[in-house]
Amino acid sequence: MIEQVPAVITAEKLRKEFGRVVALRGVSFQVPASTFFTIFGRNGAGKSTLLSIISGMAAASSGVIRVFGEDPAARTQRHRLSVISHESFLYDNLTALENLEFYGKLYSVQDLKERTHHVLRQVGLHHRRFDLVRTFSRGMLQRLTIARAILHNPDLFLLDEPFTGLDQHATEMLIGLLETLKAQGKTILLTTHDLHIGLRLSDQYMILERQQVVETGSASGLTEDALREKYFSLISSGEAGQ
Amino acid sequence: MSVIWAIIRKDFQMEFRTKDSVTAMWIFSLLIFVIFNFTFEVSRLLMLQISPGLLWVAFIFSGMLGLNRSFQVEKENGNLRSLALTPADPGLIYFGKFFSTTLFTLIFEALIFPLFIIFYDIHLSLLTLWIIPIAILGTIGFTSLGTILSAVAIHTKQQQILLSLLLWPMITPIIIWSVKTTGDVLAGDLSTAFQPVIIRMIVFDVIFTTISYLLFEYVVQE
Repeated sequence: MIEQVPAVITAEKLRKEFGRVVALRGVSFQVPASTFFTIFGRNGAGKSTLLSIISGMAAASSGVIRVFGEDPAARTQRHRLSVISHESFLYDNLTALENLEFYGKLYSVQDLKERTHHVLRQVGLHHRRFDLVRTFSRGMLQRLTIARAILHNPDLFLLDEPFTGLDQHATEMLIGLLETLKAQGKTILLTTHDLHIGLRLSDQYMILERQQVVETGSASGLTEDALREKYFSLISSGEAGQ
Repeated sequence: MSVIWAIIRKDFQMEFRTKDSVTAMWIFSLLIFVIFNFTFEVSRLLMLQISPGLLWVAFIFSGMLGLNRSFQVEKENGNLRSLALTPADPGLIYFGKFFSTTLFTLIFEALIFPLFIIFYDIHLSLLTLWIIPIAILGTIGFTSLGTILSAVAIHTKQQQILLSLLLWPMITPIIIWSVKTTGDVLAGDLSTAFQPVIIRMIVFDVIFTTISYLLFEYVVQE
């Protein structure tokens, strides 16, 4: 008998409109616990809007969204999720340690002092803890962003194009950190238009095109070439339909 | 309380480190006092009538600079969004920003008030102490609205213009009352209208601080 893995995120017929502009059209999907789930799509496909709704920062115009079984707008599960984007969410004129201590207080992290030192060691920035964030390179910034994101030990990570602007070295380092989180059994939802990285990390994937789901599937056994072919054929058929 | 305190501490840490706001506010206030002092060659009586307005021009315009800077740092790396994503009550986040801006503005006002006394030859008496509650009430009225409207304006490209357009009409009553009561205090003559105006200022502050606290959650949502 196959054990049913509970879904961390459940979306049913999500629709989002900004005035006349439709940002999502009836999007439905599920993300099981401890899964690395990637949403592929072009700019404007609706990826960031979807993440905003999942994080509770925006409300859907219609449809149902549940995160850990609850409406994310209710804020009750905020301590269980973390958002990482191409923005660092860090204060340039605070030190790495001060940034983490500040966010730790907002998340009511227990044993904050020990925890901040622990996560700084985890991302290899402990030796720079007293340095102002504005002196950090892009790669170091992204590592500190990860440290901020894992500080309160969340169960769900929402990653909105986190590789934007990173060089090769910083990208590899971020992939390494994400693989560690995946190995720890965390649920990770990534949005990206980078098929190579997305496929490398994913257990499951979904393709958003013209604000709707056009493909979902398992990434297991899927080659990059096969995904690329599928992705571009779906995009070109979408363009043809426009 | 720890959320409010964390935000106040963070804002003061950054300001003491960069001194971005305080430098701009200091230069601006000094310019106002110097320029107007040499522009108006009038009798002491007339100067007493003009000086409350000049004092509040310095307070409010430099306060605007501080307010803009305070929210600029929340915009730079998407920080306001990250604050809204935490489990912290948005109302507490509002109070954190509100108290930090208010405290910072009040400290700055306390620093520039001696300059005002020197430049405009203000005679001090026990009555002058009334300036303290007037400054507190006027500043709270300004920062309570300024904090929420800054959070609204932060999402726009023309942040400073929009903030001015939204804020000035709304704070006009509290500025008028602040100038009027300051004038009474400096003239050493607390008229019969003084106390009712102070009560109006308290009511204004309570109403707009409460409304801003209740609405902040919707302002920080996308």
